[in-house]
Amino acid sequence: MVLEKVRELIAEKINCEPGSITEETKFADLGIDSLDVTELVMSIEDEFNIELEINESMVTVADLIKAVESKTAKG
Amino acid sequence: MIKSPICEMLKIDYPIFQGGMAWIADGRLAAAVSNGGGLGIISAMNAGGDYLKRQIEIARSLTDRPFGVNIMLMSPHVDEVAEIVAEERVPVVTTGAGSPIKYMERWLEAGITVIPVVASVAMAKRAERSGAAAVIAEGEESGGHIGELTTMALVPQVCDAVDIPVIAAGGIADGRGVAACFMLGAVGVQLGTRFLLAKECPVHPNYKEMVLKATDISTVVTGRRFGGHTCRSIKNDFTRNFLKEEYAPDATPEKIEELGVGALRLAALEGDKKNGCFLAGQIAGLVNKEQPAAEIIREIFEEAEALLKGASLWVK
Repeated sequence: MVLEKVRELIAEKINCEPGSITEETKFADLGIDSLDVTELVMSIEDEFNIELEINESMVTVADLIKAVESKTAKG
Repeated sequence: MIKSPICEMLKIDYPIFQGGMAWIADGRLAAAVSNGGGLGIISAMNAGGDYLKRQIEIARSLTDRPFGVNIMLMSPHVDEVAEIVAEERVPVVTTGAGSPIKYMERWLEAGITVIPVVASVAMAKRAERSGAAAVIAEGEESGGHIGELTTMALVPQVCDAVDIPVIAAGGIADGRGVAACFMLGAVGVQLGTRFLLAKECPVHPNYKEMVLKATDISTVVTGRRFGGHTCRSIKNDFTRNFLKEEYAPDATPEKIEELGVGALRLAALEGDKKNGCFLAGQIAGLVNKEQPAAEIIREIFEEAEALLKGASLWVK
């Protein structure tokens, strides 16, 4: 569920097919830099109504999903 | 006289900051700018705690006015210098190259006014949410580590997105730039390149000469290919070689990062025109004389004031 939504938000943001994004996809391979990640995290926060920390270990889509899940599980 | 909320917030006479230029912005330059009525800023750069402590001591021996410290968040010593500014109760901390959220609680508890440099609306919003008193919206016209948006596009969008004061940076070197940024919604400005030519600026004379000689098209951006360390500096052998390596088919981010190591120090301290990396903004072409910092500030704001007073010229 989280994967679907995150995929959708990324695809929406960079204008690509959601199907081309997997958990293993690296942000760098999508041409997503640190400024894009910041913006992406903001929209994910709004969507899930959570607050996330951004750090350098956020490299792949799976890292982002893990961060979201750790927050939503708590809530 | 130009007064804005940032003057009141920081107890400064003119709403102008001197950029925290690594290897250059030391205690002497910061004190000279603060004595001139602006906010001088010491760069903590990649150095350890002892260097920063010494510079704070020098600044305090030369001025009673407030000054700031710029913390480069990619520095290997960031934890140490982040603690020192809190212990020393430095009035203002600006941050660059990342998000300062990790240190916010400690700094706010120490009574520090925290003003992060941001390159996008999302970064500005996150800074505001974490307790920043203001943000510096820095366009890619700036020298050094940069984002992608121009000052013209970034500043009004950041002003609309946050409720805290916005300081504009990137491409400003005179009263025209200041007046324009106030029209965009900023209530203060940060200048780096112009202060390289402050008499009190300790940078190597060759560096000053490079800036004096620079024209509108003298700077170039390196590091865009892999991101992370996107930097604007004056074109020379260093940048030409860097770009050649950066766009070589076998280039890797690790190899490229190696290329830049030590180049700032070579430029700032040794004036090595060939191998040094001379960070400067696109506005370098406008900077054409060396003057005391206080005179620079006075001159800029006299011009800005005259322009803003005459701004109704176009309204018929």
